[in-house]
Amino acid sequence: MAAVLPPKGDGGTYTFTSQPRAVQERKKYREPVIQQDEVPPQYGNIMYDRRIVRGNTYAQHTLPATAQPDPIEIQRQQENRRRAIARKRAKDQLRPRSPEAVEGRKHIDVQTELYLEELSDRVEEADVDCQTDAFLDRPPSPLFIPAKTGIDVTTQILEGELFDFNIEVKPILEVLIGKTVEQSLLEVMEEEELANLRSQQRAFEELRNAELVEQQRLEEQERRHREEKERRMKQQREVLKKEKETAEKIAARAFAQSYLADLVPSVFGTLADNGYFYDPVERDVEQGFMPWLMEQVEIQLEKSQLGRLVLDGLIREVSSSRFELYNNLDAKLVDPKVASATVDSQKVKIEAEPSPATTTGEAEKPVEEVPKPEEPVESAEPETEQTQEDEGGED
Amino acid sequence: MDQTKRPLLIPPEFANYAEHHGVFDMYKRLLEQLIITKPADPVTYLIDLLKRENDDVPQIVILGPPAAGKRSIAKLICAKTRAAHLTMENLIGDAELDLREEAENCINSKKAVPTELWSKIIEQRMQLFDCVKKGWVMEGFPQTREQALALQEKGIYPKHCVVLESPDTVLIERASGKRIDPKTGDVYHTTFNWPSNAEIQSRLEEATGCTEEEMITKLIVYHRHIDAILRCYDKVLKKVNADQPKADVFAQVFTFVCSQLRSNTPHTPRVVLLGPTGSGKAVQAALLASKYNLVNVSCGQLIKQAIADETKTGQAAKNYVQKKIMVPDSLVLNILKDRLSQLDCVTRGWVLHGYPVTREQAEQLEKEGLVPNRTFFLDVPNDSVLERLTQRYTDPITGERYHLLYNPPRTQDVKDRLQRHGKDNDDDVRKRLAQYHAYAEELSDFYVDGQHINADQDPHTVFETLESMIVEPLPKRLQ
Repeated sequence: MAAVLPPKGDGGTYTFTSQPRAVQERKKYREPVIQQDEVPPQYGNIMYDRRIVRGNTYAQHTLPATAQPDPIEIQRQQENRRRAIARKRAKDQLRPRSPEAVEGRKHIDVQTELYLEELSDRVEEADVDCQTDAFLDRPPSPLFIPAKTGIDVTTQILEGELFDFNIEVKPILEVLIGKTVEQSLLEVMEEEELANLRSQQRAFEELRNAELVEQQRLEEQERRHREEKERRMKQQREVLKKEKETAEKIAARAFAQSYLADLVPSVFGTLADNGYFYDPVERDVEQGFMPWLMEQVEIQLEKSQLGRLVLDGLIREVSSSRFELYNNLDAKLVDPKVASATVDSQKVKIEAEPSPATTTGEAEKPVEEVPKPEEPVESAEPETEQTQEDEGGED
Repeated sequence: MDQTKRPLLIPPEFANYAEHHGVFDMYKRLLEQLIITKPADPVTYLIDLLKRENDDVPQIVILGPPAAGKRSIAKLICAKTRAAHLTMENLIGDAELDLREEAENCINSKKAVPTELWSKIIEQRMQLFDCVKKGWVMEGFPQTREQALALQEKGIYPKHCVVLESPDTVLIERASGKRIDPKTGDVYHTTFNWPSNAEIQSRLEEATGCTEEEMITKLIVYHRHIDAILRCYDKVLKKVNADQPKADVFAQVFTFVCSQLRSNTPHTPRVVLLGPTGSGKAVQAALLASKYNLVNVSCGQLIKQAIADETKTGQAAKNYVQKKIMVPDSLVLNILKDRLSQLDCVTRGWVLHGYPVTREQAEQLEKEGLVPNRTFFLDVPNDSVLERLTQRYTDPITGERYHLLYNPPRTQDVKDRLQRHGKDNDDDVRKRLAQYHAYAEELSDFYVDGQHINADQDPHTVFETLESMIVEPLPKRLQ
């Protein structure tokens, strides 16, 4: 069928692409002749349309396209059926049944409804039809009272016919009351016993508490004594230790004092022995005065030596000149006047000259007597103080 | 606390400790150095000094005329003691640069190096580590009294001064044979000290300045100065005759170097006299005790005393004595300990003889704290002992003791009635001698500081030797 496209409204609500239309009914059987289009389409009730799936669609048992059912499907179905039957049977068996009848008895089914109903194989049937009246309010349904079936039979038990209550009730009563009394007695006894127990316990606990207290007191006392003792002992030990230390210190000090009493004198003694402490006067004398003294002595000695040397020179001079003169004297023996005059003057000169110092080993006379040719000729006049080292050396 | 309630008891351990560690000498040395150096912070200086631990280093000066052998002796001593060897040449060589130049200038210009320069050089050299730690041997310096005085002023003084003396003629002769090894500087001699190694022999050359005239001038200079120098060192001086073989000279010098000066340390002698029977221990002990007021502790006497006093130990000992067995060590030790711990022994000192005999006894004695500070072994040959003991007689009437050889009785009457002690016969004496000798070696190993004395002389000579060793400090043992 060609869909009529509806005119689209501007904006507005959303509309379906195609307009909704009623579902045409599908005839069960095909028409023998193709109908002309003048016949208006037959619209059926959609609720009774066979083409619409009813119920849930997720577990539908849809037939496949081919009409042939699957053999597997058939098997499965059969199995399911069998299983269902088995299940039902099992359930039936499991269903709790009333216990079997005791020996000599038999269970009978009993109807317990208000009105008994006769059960028979054949159920009587009758067709009845009726027509409802005009709409009236449905009257309340009458109470269903099924027809009565069976025969009513009654019976009546009068008092005293079955049993004698008083007699029958005695043992029961006895038992009941006895048991009750017994029970209550027991309960009372139990209560008493409990009470006794409690009181005993209490007494015992009091005793125990008292003892505990006593014990604690004694323990406390003991502990205090012990601590006191410890403290005292520690104190005493400290005191003793201190005393010992003090005694040791004193002893050490006394010992050190006596031991090292001689230290300082011996140190100074050693240093003095080794020359570190010297008498400054002595040292000064030794280092300052003595060298000067020695120098002066040296100078003096040199001077005297010089004097001696000079003297030696003098003497040598004189002796040599004398020697010359005497030599000349020999030559001048011819002229006695001149000779004697010169001899006298020479003699005077000889006597006038002081005697030579000890250093001169040579005497004048030997010089005169023994002519020494090696003596240099000197001038007749005595020389001044000029040392001649060579001759000085000879001395 | 007054003295009556609690008398002052100085435990003897103090004295032992002080003696053992030489406390007095140490303090003396510290004080001396302090006075010489006068540091700004004395306490730190003292601590440094103590840390140096150089109490025993040798400080020796060797003087003598040329060719006396100073170099050889100095080298031998340095080799033995590992001290530093200082001579005039190597002092200059080792000195600081400026001082060395100055000194060399002086030498090159043939002038004598001035004394202040010497004292500076020496002062510097003495600060060096090897002089401080190992000591020094100075040879041939000082040469004049001025130099000696300069050294003393600086506080540098030797512990020992050795002068090798010899007649001049010997020296001049010796000088002619002197040869020097140029490599090591050792001095050899053609006659007295020729090296065995051929290589050294080939190297030797003649020493300079050894002609006769030079020797004579040197000797004159030496004699001019030596007396003055010796006056500086007279407290530590020893003159050794250098005209002997080198080994003898060295032995004498070394003994002297090992000996120590008399110090003022307070000293309570605790002497142990060891020796065989008849060596004169009791005699010497009596002499020592009488002269130095020591307590004479004779082990045998003590035991007899204990027995006589009937003390507990005495009675225990009595059993042994009666059975003629040796009293066990523990008993004897107890008796001794009691006696030696008494106050008079501790304060006056004691001389013990007759104990210990074996090494264990000696060890036990030491463990008790009764350590002697002088031990003497009186060595006598066995024959002398026999002679001394077997001829020892007593006159029973007068009580005089005689010896047939050394102190014979005057009259025949006395001689007739003389009696000898039962234990003084030959066999017993020999037995006792054997007993002593069995233990003698161990004992002398144990007492390393023990001095062996020849006791085969007359008692007073031996006594003098003992005295000198007790009064002087023990010679130190150089490694």
